[in-house]
Amino acid sequence: MIDTIREIETPEGISLRLRAAGALPRAQAWTLDLLLRVGMLFFATIPLSLFGLGGNGLVLLLIFALMWAYSVVFEVWWNGQTPGKRALGLRVVNADGTPVTWLPSVVRNLMRVVDILPGVYGVGLVSTLIDPHARRLGDIVAGTLVIHAGELPAGQQVPAMEAIPLPVVLAVDEQAALVEFTERAGQLSVPRQEELANLLTPLTGLRDTAAIRRLVAHANWLLGRA
Amino acid sequence: MKQERFVALHGREWDSLQSWFSALERQPKRTLRQEQALDFPSAYRRLCHHLALARGRGYSHEVTDRLQRLAQQGHRVLYRPPAPRWHRVASFLVAGFPQLVRSQWRCMLAAAVLFYVPALVMLVLMQVRPELAHTVFSSAQLAQFEKMYDPANPRIGRSSGTDLQMFGFYVMNNVSIAFRTFASGLLFGVGAIYVLGANGMLIGGVAGHLTAIGYGAPFWRFVVGHSPFELSALVIAGGAGLQLGLTLLAPGRRRRGPALVAAGWIGAQLALGAFAMLLVAAFIEAYWSSIAALSDPVKFGSGALLWVLVLGWLWRGGRAGRHGA
Repeated sequence: MIDTIREIETPEGISLRLRAAGALPRAQAWTLDLLLRVGMLFFATIPLSLFGLGGNGLVLLLIFALMWAYSVVFEVWWNGQTPGKRALGLRVVNADGTPVTWLPSVVRNLMRVVDILPGVYGVGLVSTLIDPHARRLGDIVAGTLVIHAGELPAGQQVPAMEAIPLPVVLAVDEQAALVEFTERAGQLSVPRQEELANLLTPLTGLRDTAAIRRLVAHANWLLGRA
Repeated sequence: MKQERFVALHGREWDSLQSWFSALERQPKRTLRQEQALDFPSAYRRLCHHLALARGRGYSHEVTDRLQRLAQQGHRVLYRPPAPRWHRVASFLVAGFPQLVRSQWRCMLAAAVLFYVPALVMLVLMQVRPELAHTVFSSAQLAQFEKMYDPANPRIGRSSGTDLQMFGFYVMNNVSIAFRTFASGLLFGVGAIYVLGANGMLIGGVAGHLTAIGYGAPFWRFVVGHSPFELSALVIAGGAGLQLGLTLLAPGRRRRGPALVAAGWIGAQLALGAFAMLLVAAFIEAYWSSIAALSDPVKFGSGALLWVLVLGWLWRGGRAGRHGA
């Protein structure tokens, strides 16, 4: 299956689902960060220039911090997000899904030196396209992963209705498909809902709107509503 | 158990966990000091249990997605990175870092050879055939070096600028070089080898040229103070890069991926230690090395003392005997 979801089993015996972020949103986040840093430098230079030549030294220290420390500090202290990543809804995590810590963050940001090679992130782009989890070389060496921070929308509630027991016993996956249909029905157009519900005419003995209503009633019964 | 009953039994608990998470996002410090924080680990484990049950019983997405979401949030909170501890930084600098350098002594030795041999060769070559300076450096570069180390200059080692300005410049320049040396080691070590060799030739060439034209005294007086930190840090960063490249080429008895992660972990610590050394070097270079008024015994005596201290620290720092293992 072509999928960017990475399932990680935690010590608690459940699996986390991390959705790896591809090159495009990451490039956008990087561009935002770059603009932000240039802006910060620009606005800091004005007051610092009042200090004369010594101010130049402070400007150089600021450039140093923005160049090497900016990403690390934000990633560790801001839940794995630089301002650009937060704007794009991205997050850096360790390979086991835990929040990124100091050393991995240092490694992945130092390795930008290699990823940025030829021109603008040539190596990094190729690496994200080849790697199944879209990691650049720095991520591979650091053992980190950039994921989409936003969670997927949760399933919607099945509309409440008087429950009607199923006339036959359905297998577990068939029951799940029926409940899932009624959960998702709200996202589908009415003709599409009817088309799908009509597939189950042998079960319900009804067509179109009546079939949908009957399926919802069955789903209510499956969920255990009175 | 049917889904509705399961939700009715535990739904309130999930809601309270959810509201605790949103409170944590708004006011992290205050929320963590509340009583509910003590309860969080067990609440999180119960939640994981519920999620496993819900999945096992084939409950619908409405419930599993909601629990999955809560579990991801809880996982982030439970496994968040610990707050940095200053005494750990200190013990790393005193003991951990020298130990790490020694544990990578083969790469460090190789880096030292790659750096010092070209430097010494250039230094000697410049004495034997001084005209070579014009092949290696452009005339503008030569003029700048000569201006910086002119014996008549009251502030040696720079053509202009204040101490603070030069401190910023040294940090920016030297640390960036060290970080790039380490990182470019990932290119099968080629990057680190190139940076080490090129910097060795450059530094040896400048030293040789200035000595040959009789500006040796101010030059050596200038560099003797900060060179132990600066040159050692460069060699260590280069050794860290070599170690990374070597792991990529020959990961040994591990798969390449995990071997690289382990090497990156070591390399980052070495790079951070080199960063600390270069901060000290930049401080000495900006505020001490540039003072021309001090007499030779003070300059060279302090320089020799610092060399002994740095090498002794790298050689003996963190030995088991001192800390009682």
